[in-house]
Amino acid sequence: MTAAAYDKWVRKLLCLALAAGIWFAPVPAGLTAEAWHLFAVFAAAIVSVILNAFPLLTASLLAVGTVVLSGTVDAAKAFAGFAHSSVLLVVAAFLVANAVVKCGLGRRISLLVVSAFGRSTLGLGYSVFLTDALIAPAFPSNTARGGVLYPIILSLAQANGSKPEDAGTRRLGAYLMFCGMASLSVSSALWLTATSANPLGVSLAVERGLKIGFATWLLASSVPALTTILLLPVILYRLLPPGVASTPDAAAIARTELLRMGRLTRDEWIVAVVFCTMVAGWAMGDRLHLSLTAVAFAGLGLLLATNVLTIADIDLQGSTLVTFFWLAVLFALSTQLNELGFMGYVGERLTALLGGMSWPVTYVVLLVLYVLMHYMFVSQGAHVLALFSVFLDVGTRAGVPAPLMAFALLFASSYFSTLTPQGGSQNIIFVGSGYLTQGELYRLGLLTVGFCLLVYLVLGTPWLLLVAG
Amino acid sequence: MALFFLAACGRTDGSAPQALPAGEWREFEGSWTAAGTRETLQLGPDHRAAIFHLTGSLLLTGPQRPAVGFRAEAIGFSDTRAGMEGRCVWTDERGDKVFSELKGEFVGNGNRIVGTFVGGTGHYTGVTGEYTFQWQYVVDAGDGAVSGRVVGLKGRARLGSPSGAQSR
Repeated sequence: MTAAAYDKWVRKLLCLALAAGIWFAPVPAGLTAEAWHLFAVFAAAIVSVILNAFPLLTASLLAVGTVVLSGTVDAAKAFAGFAHSSVLLVVAAFLVANAVVKCGLGRRISLLVVSAFGRSTLGLGYSVFLTDALIAPAFPSNTARGGVLYPIILSLAQANGSKPEDAGTRRLGAYLMFCGMASLSVSSALWLTATSANPLGVSLAVERGLKIGFATWLLASSVPALTTILLLPVILYRLLPPGVASTPDAAAIARTELLRMGRLTRDEWIVAVVFCTMVAGWAMGDRLHLSLTAVAFAGLGLLLATNVLTIADIDLQGSTLVTFFWLAVLFALSTQLNELGFMGYVGERLTALLGGMSWPVTYVVLLVLYVLMHYMFVSQGAHVLALFSVFLDVGTRAGVPAPLMAFALLFASSYFSTLTPQGGSQNIIFVGSGYLTQGELYRLGLLTVGFCLLVYLVLGTPWLLLVAG
Repeated sequence: MALFFLAACGRTDGSAPQALPAGEWREFEGSWTAAGTRETLQLGPDHRAAIFHLTGSLLLTGPQRPAVGFRAEAIGFSDTRAGMEGRCVWTDERGDKVFSELKGEFVGNGNRIVGTFVGGTGHYTGVTGEYTFQWQYVVDAGDGAVSGRVVGLKGRARLGSPSGAQSR
């Protein structure tokens, strides 16, 4: 056995030992055996992915098999993620992205972007962040926004010669993909209407007597959110050097290529019309009471009906099936962890530890704990519903000004989504591209969220005290 | 993960439940964070009925509390005019259960509910007593999912003697 294989077995055994150790430890008072056992399995699954003992799919399948066969979670609840609209939206967005790339429209858009920003890879990174920040207020779903950004970013990576399977060129695509993930999280903190978790949190804050509208939110978020948007492309560039730094001729080459491509083809026209209609449906879904997932499926159906996509194209999307499996499983298990009372229990217990501290210390500790707890969540909305009010209550009881605590938690509920690849369904689209390794996703996720936390604490706190406190 | 483990296992308020003799009243306070489903039927512009199923972590405080906390599961019917009627099961870490009946106002923000203990299993066999609480918030999270939080839960319970206990 080679040293690497031995090392991998050690990591697998460590994860097994972790699961067994927690499972057989006495059930803490206040929890049920089911909640405790589910935590044992879920924690071991996440740690196994972080330690690179198993891929996400393997860890998820082992986890769901264990909890269902042991009677910890009902089969119907464990498999509920396979029918959840957010999970299905990710799958549909993946397949639609394939059409944008296949017909050449994605390449055309990426050449337009390169002709404007393509003098450097960093410029491309900024173009991703700025585009997302500008379109975000019109999209109440950041998963749908990911569906818009992903095909463009994928085409940008491919147009620059980056391929997931090529070690030499992969990093450029990896940089752009992570820019997409990070931009979705920080843009969601900038605008009240950029993700469904924001109005959910605001409706809970109303119970504390706080009134937060679109303008109040934007004023409060502007300084810290714009700071992260301005700095993150550079920081990610340092953390994950894309390999190609300067491309002085790229803009001119892109313009020549655009001329060579000529007019839009039939397939490009169809995809453009279908895609724009889908974008309009996603943007106005709330007002028109449209299911975002149904909009995506209708669009996908039209692309198949017009032969822009074929069944053979769908057959080739094996990675989509992999993503669907692990996302559905983790989504359901995380939901069950919440419904079995584990999340609320840990939140209440953690916050009970903070008695007697000064309010600034309580504020910082609460915010850090709130962010770290996202390791166990697969949905921003579920996190907000389970913990936002608990943490806001404790903070205000300790003397933290209520608007400061509320805004800090609300903004964190957006930027913490990059903490793990499964931390928000919008991440999954980029994770599934294959450009980013598991190790990179967790490392960059922690560093990105750590940076955002720092900015929101150091810059955001005085700003919030000034404008909202 | 260590953070979660320590939070779950660590002592937090230093007051373990006192072992009081059976038959004595125990007073307690607490909070309940719940999530689940609610199906609503609109019966007119200002009238709606709903069936709900909520589960979550119920944590108790006070030196006389019967346990540190429970997993609380409730189902019921709620009507904006007729109020709410439900049933609730609290389960502790040993699997022992406390059964109660719920009555009160429609499940919604600020509304008040009264629970009456009607029996239990194991350690809580024959338990009697009552409790009251108010919903701090109840929020629809889309697709029929609902989430709520109760603070200021107050009540008292009397454990039955093991011999003459009622159990359901």
